[in-house]
Amino acid sequence: MKRIIIADDSTTARMFIKRCLQIIGLGDAEIIEAEHGKEALAAAKAQEVDLLLTDLNMPVMDGETLIKWVKASPKLGDLPVIVITSAGNPAKEAQLLELGAHRVLNKPVSPPAMMDALADFLDD
Amino acid sequence: MIEHKPLYQAMITAVSQTLENMVFMEVMEHFDRSYDIPEEDLVWTSLLINDPVQGEIRLAMPGTLLKKLTGNVFGIDEGDITQPQMDDILNELLNTIVGLFMTNLLADNQEYKMGLPELGDGPLPEIDAIQLSGN
Repeated sequence: MKRIIIADDSTTARMFIKRCLQIIGLGDAEIIEAEHGKEALAAAKAQEVDLLLTDLNMPVMDGETLIKWVKASPKLGDLPVIVITSAGNPAKEAQLLELGAHRVLNKPVSPPAMMDALADFLDD
Repeated sequence: MIEHKPLYQAMITAVSQTLENMVFMEVMEHFDRSYDIPEEDLVWTSLLINDPVQGEIRLAMPGTLLKKLTGNVFGIDEGDITQPQMDDILNELLNTIVGLFMTNLLADNQEYKMGLPELGDGPLPEIDAIQLSGN
């Protein structure tokens, strides 16, 4: 069973992401919800995690800082990170990919976009 | 005509995309500019744009409509809806609208920074007409 962290300060956004995961066949994944980057980072360090889905604009620790911490961690460096944000454009996307994000999706996220982004992950 | 102005078009597109995809609701423009949401039913939230220009975008709607949207999105009866759920949906709608608006408006290589949505209380504050620009 896959273990996935969803980091977003919005309950609504987390619910939409969970629905997308269910629709694309990841309904049995264990979902860990975090309201900001710091909480997500703590959860990722505390247990084995297969995937991190994160927003950018969050209180306490934003998504960009979270990616930097994850990629700098010897334990978490290989963890796939997908950004789901309303604040994305091509310039921002390039910057996030440079930081180590696997993909960047724009809100409102759709099941086909999620399916496409997670294709490699689903094949494993 | 206002319909041809880039700010207006970017906002119409952002609102349509957001409401159609998040709450499965078709958007139609209300051309009667004298229409106001009754104050006792008004809910609103606001978000600051910090870069490349400074501004504020607000989303206001009738509380009765927000309750209906919340029930549809969460798939629950109106009697089971909580205030935090309604607040969260209102904030997330604005967050998504503003992100799409800025993406629609700016060039691909133009970065922007936006704040976090903050719920408003009471009537909508007056807009400072002196600071209005670009419209």
